[in-house]
Amino acid sequence: MAEKNIILSAKDIEVKFRVRKNYLTAIRNVSLDLYEGETFAIVGESGSGKSVFTKTFTGMLESNGRVTNGSIMFHDVDLVQLKSDKDWEGIRGAKISTVFQDPMTSLNPIKTIGSQIVEVIEKHQKISKQEAKEQAISMMARVGIPNAADRFDEYPFQYSGGMRQRIVIAIALSCHPEILICDEPTTALDVTIQAQIIKLIKDLQKELGFTTIYITHDLGVVAKVADRVGVMYGGQIIEYGTVEEIFYDPKHPYTWALLSSLPQLGVKGEDLYYINGTPPSLFNRIIGDSFAPRNPHALKIDFAKEPPFFRVSDTHYAKTWLLDPRAPSLEKPEVIQDLHEKIEKMTGKGGAFYVDEQ
Amino acid sequence: MINFLKKHMFDKYRLDKDFGKNPEETVSPEEEVAVNEDELFCQAEFDEKKSEIIAAPRYSYWKSVWKTFVGSKMNIAVSILVIFIVAFSFIYPSFSNYDPMDAPYINDASRKYLAPSAEHIFGTDDIGNEVFDVVWEGARNSLIVSLAATAIDMIVGIIVGAIWGFSKKMDKWMIEIYNVISNVPFLLIAMILSYILGNGFGPLIFTMTVTDWIFVAYFIRTQVMIIRDREYNLASKCLGTSTWTMVTKNILPYLISVIMTYISRQVPALISYEVFLSYMGLGLGMQYASLGRTISNYTSYMRGYPHLFWIPVSILAIISISLYIVGQKLADAADPRTHR
Amino acid sequence: MSTNNNEREVILSIRHVDISFDIGKKKKFKAVKDASFDIYRGETFALVGESGSGKTTLGRAAIRINPCSAGEILFNGERISGKISRKQDRNVIRNIQMIFQDPAASLNERATIEYCISEGLYNFHLYKDEEDRIAKVDKALEDVGLLPEHKSRYPHEFSGGQRQRVGIARAMIMEPQLIIADEPISALDVSIRAQILNLMNKLKKEKNLTYLFIAHDLSVVRFIADRIAVIHLGKIVEIAESEDLFRYPVHPYTISLLSAVPMPDPIIEKQRDSIVYTKEEDDPEASPREMREIRPGHFVYANDEDMVAFEERLKKLELYNAENQ
Repeated sequence: MAEKNIILSAKDIEVKFRVRKNYLTAIRNVSLDLYEGETFAIVGESGSGKSVFTKTFTGMLESNGRVTNGSIMFHDVDLVQLKSDKDWEGIRGAKISTVFQDPMTSLNPIKTIGSQIVEVIEKHQKISKQEAKEQAISMMARVGIPNAADRFDEYPFQYSGGMRQRIVIAIALSCHPEILICDEPTTALDVTIQAQIIKLIKDLQKELGFTTIYITHDLGVVAKVADRVGVMYGGQIIEYGTVEEIFYDPKHPYTWALLSSLPQLGVKGEDLYYINGTPPSLFNRIIGDSFAPRNPHALKIDFAKEPPFFRVSDTHYAKTWLLDPRAPSLEKPEVIQDLHEKIEKMTGKGGAFYVDEQ
Repeated sequence: MINFLKKHMFDKYRLDKDFGKNPEETVSPEEEVAVNEDELFCQAEFDEKKSEIIAAPRYSYWKSVWKTFVGSKMNIAVSILVIFIVAFSFIYPSFSNYDPMDAPYINDASRKYLAPSAEHIFGTDDIGNEVFDVVWEGARNSLIVSLAATAIDMIVGIIVGAIWGFSKKMDKWMIEIYNVISNVPFLLIAMILSYILGNGFGPLIFTMTVTDWIFVAYFIRTQVMIIRDREYNLASKCLGTSTWTMVTKNILPYLISVIMTYISRQVPALISYEVFLSYMGLGLGMQYASLGRTISNYTSYMRGYPHLFWIPVSILAIISISLYIVGQKLADAADPRTHR
Repeated sequence: MSTNNNEREVILSIRHVDISFDIGKKKKFKAVKDASFDIYRGETFALVGESGSGKTTLGRAAIRINPCSAGEILFNGERISGKISRKQDRNVIRNIQMIFQDPAASLNERATIEYCISEGLYNFHLYKDEEDRIAKVDKALEDVGLLPEHKSRYPHEFSGGQRQRVGIARAMIMEPQLIIADEPISALDVSIRAQILNLMNKLKKEKNLTYLFIAHDLSVVRFIADRIAVIHLGKIVEIAESEDLFRYPVHPYTISLLSAVPMPDPIIEKQRDSIVYTKEEDDPEASPREMREIRPGHFVYANDEDMVAFEERLKKLELYNAENQ
């Protein structure tokens, strides 16, 4: 990983929102280096700030929010300094595009599918209408729309949910972006459709070579798509590492808790591991480790001082006092020990639930 | 007032460098750990129940409505104005000796058409009466009529509308009745009724409300239909809740804000109605002063003695607008989305 | 287990139920087609399918919200579909309760928690006096891990998980026999799903409940359900005991669903591919399909030709499972 180029580097990002007379700190000093060609998954609960964080990469924060500290370097441009839509031209939607959760909100219901793709292509490339249309149709075919040319003039409501999301992906990729941000792209879809969309994104990534940021709350999806993972909680990344490190050797008690509470790992007749309470209110100043009040393993210092990132390996860092040499040594919960063996046993050879005839 | 507006308008656009600083928050560096850090590396106590406690102060709907409403100085100012106008128009006429059927100064030429002055605040009219007395007597009667009519409209309209919105069977024939009534010209009904019933408070209020309630009912019906199929109503149905309880506990509480908005438009609208009917000669009748009749009487002097016309019109405007603003602000405050 | 099914008491019986909706004039959309299954007292029966499969429609038919256009539903042996007496209707309401998917949408935002939980008590006068009612509400809150002081709060003051527990308490206070849980955890954050599932299991044990658990996620269902029915486009395609379904899935749709559920294991996830299921067009030539028993207690929607293929697959799976025991 070390020899790979950094394509985007966010440093000490802080984001605040104004809500009536108060300020809410949605992101608290988050840094992230994104390597070219990788898939970085950000996993967290709602309100952890995973969406807000990536919206700063395209300057799409809601109007009451600002980046109040930090820098985001992308090709020698500090994205935090960009203000007007004109500044963003050439970056948002062109070099960095986003696929959102609900395809219906990204598509205009009264315009044909084809015209919406053509519009984006024409905006960012100087080519003739005919060429744009050809590009659009080939893009539609590429994202798996059967009879793309025939369906060019149809409207969004004539497409199914999964097909619409394919179109949104086609639009996002029509300008050959370097970074594709997928913000819970499959949460609103059925599992079988989800599997298809994930596969599509992975295939296209291989073919077109873009870098993906994948935001999700579903650890199963993370396992499927990610090269590296960042776990977010209370507006901070609290642990990051390669996907194997996060799943097989997690260090932060929150990551433990997230993994252990998965119903997939439940044993019938026994209780599932669960996390008590609710995430911290971002209106308050958080002292110490934000997860401490919900953490049965919390140390006294967790309530007094914010932990720094401790290095686990070159690629794996975790923000917990448990890694301090002075801390008592703690094993991760029993449920997630030998995770791979357990799941292999559960799902059969190759994880296909005993289905191996294809 | 200007300062106040300025403060609030510019508050929104505070400078970027101030963005994110909570006023009450003093910026302090990382809290110093007083004791030796090393001692803190031991298990902290963990209480499961603790995480269930809700720290926020207790929420009460009406308290929040009140707090939101009085939170704005503008609201307080306009409310005081409304209370003052209403109170004044009810109290003052009982102290003035004005009687619309009497003209004690009709032969005193020196008292006619006087412009407003310290002695005659609003001046005097064509028969030597104090315009001040006439206007407030009229304002009182107009307010009585419109408030009573609004109350009747709303009570009947809400009850009928709530049931109408809930019952699909009732909807079928109520919609037909609504179509018929809304297509009959109101003036026609007013003329016929005034012919049959004569003039006076009772007949006028009856005339104003006899068909008007159905528009309230129709409005409520649409609102009810919007929230009728929400899941929490389905949940109530699964718990065996009767339709009536659903209307009063599940539906109407959600409509407080929109009903308030409706009332805030209805009161001024009915004042104008009264003015209109009185102007047409279908209103309260000769024996009662009203804003409508006053304006109608004074219209002919618009050129020669403009104060006679403009003073009652201004009073009408002030009453209508301030009532409307208070109603709107109350409606805003009644919307829980404005509560913190 | 399956062998003593016959001795177990059936609490809810769905028999050849069709449910259709009018779309436009004279056009009908059949949301559920010829669904049949029995739910035994004390079990958790899961109905799994994707959106538009008719799973919620069928669940709601059991509490008389959706009328059946054909077939019948029996509760404790008595017909509860179609026209029934008011007394019977009240009986159904008391004994079959529902837990909803979205706790935010299914609670009355303008009522206190006390009212929300007491609603059923009021409707059936299930309390002696005010004191008794308060005691019952307190007990219900305690059962779901909430505090008595929450009574005077409003739903919006609670977190999603707490709200869902209020929804559970409101159903439990009726002391029902059967609970229909319509995707009770899918609207919740991942970190609190486990808590709700634990709670449902605990209450089931304590109160001898039966669950009809409606879900779209097979992996969740494996943990909670005793038996599972897979429904696809209004048709039930496979019914089996939970472990049986995971070990011997035979219908291609079940297999496709299983292969699509992502597991929290990067090594496995990166190896496997999901299998796409495309429904064969209803071929008028093909002999009609029906539910057939392929293993004891394991039913699949098939005709003769299908059965040949399914049995072959089953043999392979049995061989594989024997090897890897």
